[in-house]
Amino acid sequence: MNFELIGTMIRLRYKLLWANTRTRNGKIALFFAGYLLLVMFLALLGAGGTGAGMAAIRSGKGAVLAGAMLTGVFAQGLLASVILGFGMATIFSETELRRYPLRANERRFTRHIIGIVDPFWILFLVLDLGIAFGLYLFGAGGFWFGLVAVLLLFVCNYVAARVLGMLVQRLASQKFGAMIMLALVICIGMLPSLLQPVLKKYPAIWQGLKGVWQTTPPAAAGVAMTHLDIGALQALGVIALWTAALFALLILIERRPPKAAAVHDTKIVFEDRMDRLGRIFGPTIGPLVSHWLRFYFRNNRFRTIYPLALPLAAFLLFFLSRQDSSKHSPFGGPFSVALAIFGIIGFIGTGQFAVNQFGYVGGGFRRFLLLPTDPAAAFRAGSYMFVSLSGALILPAALLFALFGPIPSNAPMMLMLVGTSVMSLFLFHGIALWTSVLGPRRGNYKQALGNDLSFVGNIVILGGTLGWLFLPQLLIRGDSAALVRSYWWATPALALAAIIFYTVSLRLTTSLFRARREEIMAMMEGKG
Amino acid sequence: MNAQNAAIRITNLSKLYGNTMAVENLTLNVQPGRIFGFLGPNGSGKSTTIGCLTGLLDPTAGQIEILGQHFDADNAAIKRRIGVMPETLGLFDPLYAHEFLAFVARIFGLNESTTRKRVTELLDALELTDSGKTLAEYSTGMRKRVAFAAAVIHSPEILFLDEPFESIDPAGVALMKQWLRRFTDQGRTVFMTTHVLETVERVCHDVAIITKPGKLVWQGDVTVLATDGKLQFNGREFDALEPLFLHLTGERYKDLDWL
Repeated sequence: MNFELIGTMIRLRYKLLWANTRTRNGKIALFFAGYLLLVMFLALLGAGGTGAGMAAIRSGKGAVLAGAMLTGVFAQGLLASVILGFGMATIFSETELRRYPLRANERRFTRHIIGIVDPFWILFLVLDLGIAFGLYLFGAGGFWFGLVAVLLLFVCNYVAARVLGMLVQRLASQKFGAMIMLALVICIGMLPSLLQPVLKKYPAIWQGLKGVWQTTPPAAAGVAMTHLDIGALQALGVIALWTAALFALLILIERRPPKAAAVHDTKIVFEDRMDRLGRIFGPTIGPLVSHWLRFYFRNNRFRTIYPLALPLAAFLLFFLSRQDSSKHSPFGGPFSVALAIFGIIGFIGTGQFAVNQFGYVGGGFRRFLLLPTDPAAAFRAGSYMFVSLSGALILPAALLFALFGPIPSNAPMMLMLVGTSVMSLFLFHGIALWTSVLGPRRGNYKQALGNDLSFVGNIVILGGTLGWLFLPQLLIRGDSAALVRSYWWATPALALAAIIFYTVSLRLTTSLFRARREEIMAMMEGKG
Repeated sequence: MNAQNAAIRITNLSKLYGNTMAVENLTLNVQPGRIFGFLGPNGSGKSTTIGCLTGLLDPTAGQIEILGQHFDADNAAIKRRIGVMPETLGLFDPLYAHEFLAFVARIFGLNESTTRKRVTELLDALELTDSGKTLAEYSTGMRKRVAFAAAVIHSPEILFLDEPFESIDPAGVALMKQWLRRFTDQGRTVFMTTHVLETVERVCHDVAIITKPGKLVWQGDVTVLATDGKLQFNGREFDALEPLFLHLTGERYKDLDWL
């Protein structure tokens, strides 16, 4: 193995990362990343480990508790990397590495070493180390076994995330892949609530599941951390076996490139449903709206997320509605949950694209500026499209709620719920206009999952989603019928304010777009 | 050269990027009905100049007139009368060629029947009939042909081509040259940048050579070369464009004994 050249490539990866900080956005990102990492490092090393250690000693169930915590961390790593794209950046592709005198296994090693030595994965390593350290500190575990278990689990977590990510990517690129993923996500989401009554009725199933869980890497790591005997060695062996098996699977998947779709001669169609839909917006903006519709409906990520919007909202509605709505509970009851969900419907289907509208157009951005229209026409058309697509989900959601909702509904309640959706629709897409112009980021059109948003974009999406999900539940409690009688007018009034906000934002950001178009063009073409 | 009737008139054009002057006080006129070659070494400001001429970039100073009217990025009326093939092509990868061309045609105001007719004819003429592939799956040469088709589909009066011949096969180059000659025979104008000097000699009528930062060092008629004439500069004569270009741009490459 040419370790010298591999070391050079790893150093290059970090030089490139550092080079990104030469831009203003890069400096901001670096500052927050470093600050957040430091805070989390200290908090998690201390709190996680200490808490785990103390709880383990008190309960006398160190292995199970450690295993449960490690399972949670492991699952978080998988979800965050596969769904949000953290820690999955491909710094050097296989094609790029072929320029260098590296053999196939050296290229693979380089790519994955660079992948694993990523701030995101380091964070998870720290989390696991915190648990191991806490257990050792309180005398519930061994230092060396714990350290080896953490390192093995860390590698296993990374490899599992890579394998899962590649499988998801391949599935998403298939013709009905998005629908299959949709079905899988719904099933996995509903599994706990479906399993609960079954497990209560048949406790033997629970024991069986527990037995299976104990063979998983995180559970084995929990055993390795809390034992000093042959059991610890066996547990380390289990983690090593899993890691080796997952790595073999990773190599197998990498060696079988995705099948390119067979090229069929597509009949030349000059007018399809995108063009017919676009015509609603008139002869000037219409072709641009049609273009955006065509552009995004060919994107795997959009085709996965947009159809998921209503089912996900339905799932959240039923899941959260069942939660305890007593005085001391964080959950506010079915009506406040409904308000929260209807708020999210306003943007969940298109949110991550609307906040970075030009993120995927690449060199096509230049084409927009060459058209004989106002340079900002494409910008406006894109926003109209997003608002229309998200808006199109509101009435079906209202109808489904009226027919199948967890609580009986009436006209004032429906008006309140629809008003909430309209409010969030225009508020969010108004904010998205600003982030598209002030915080754009070049994304990868072909990636089915991942995070292509700027720091600001992430704040808007995550903050908006979490805020809208939990704020109504925290603020609105009590008799929902009385609430609806007294305040049915509130959300429609707020919706009107949101429309005004959107209209004003559109005007202001249009001017800003014209002023910043050169910067955005440079960024989209990889020069900024 | 008659500045009054110029198809393109550039007066004291400057473009600053941060602290870097990309183009400084460029003044240039392009006559209608001519193929104008705009040459210079790498980084001399050719693409920046074309960017300002086509509304992609805002000049820091100076004036641009196209077809007798003041031109800036907001002048949609003039944009409707020019066609642009940018160096980076400006394509939308997920689209099929016919979708992209139809989109461009509609935005440029062509009616539906003209759009369909011209898209079909262009695809056929440029041998882009592989309708099963998106633009992302096209080779570089095919992508360039699509970008060229998008530049000409609305029959513009002025064509701006930024490095049009690179990566196109000889048959494609020959077809484009034929079209460009016919284009100018109809009184329309072509403004193009390229590094392929032999093609410039055969295709262009006039040539301007710039050095960093966008400084005009020579402008003249190159059609004399076809009749064994010479190009003149400061009392010296050049029988081809390449020696003149190298003399003017001062490009010297160090000889490496190990290469």
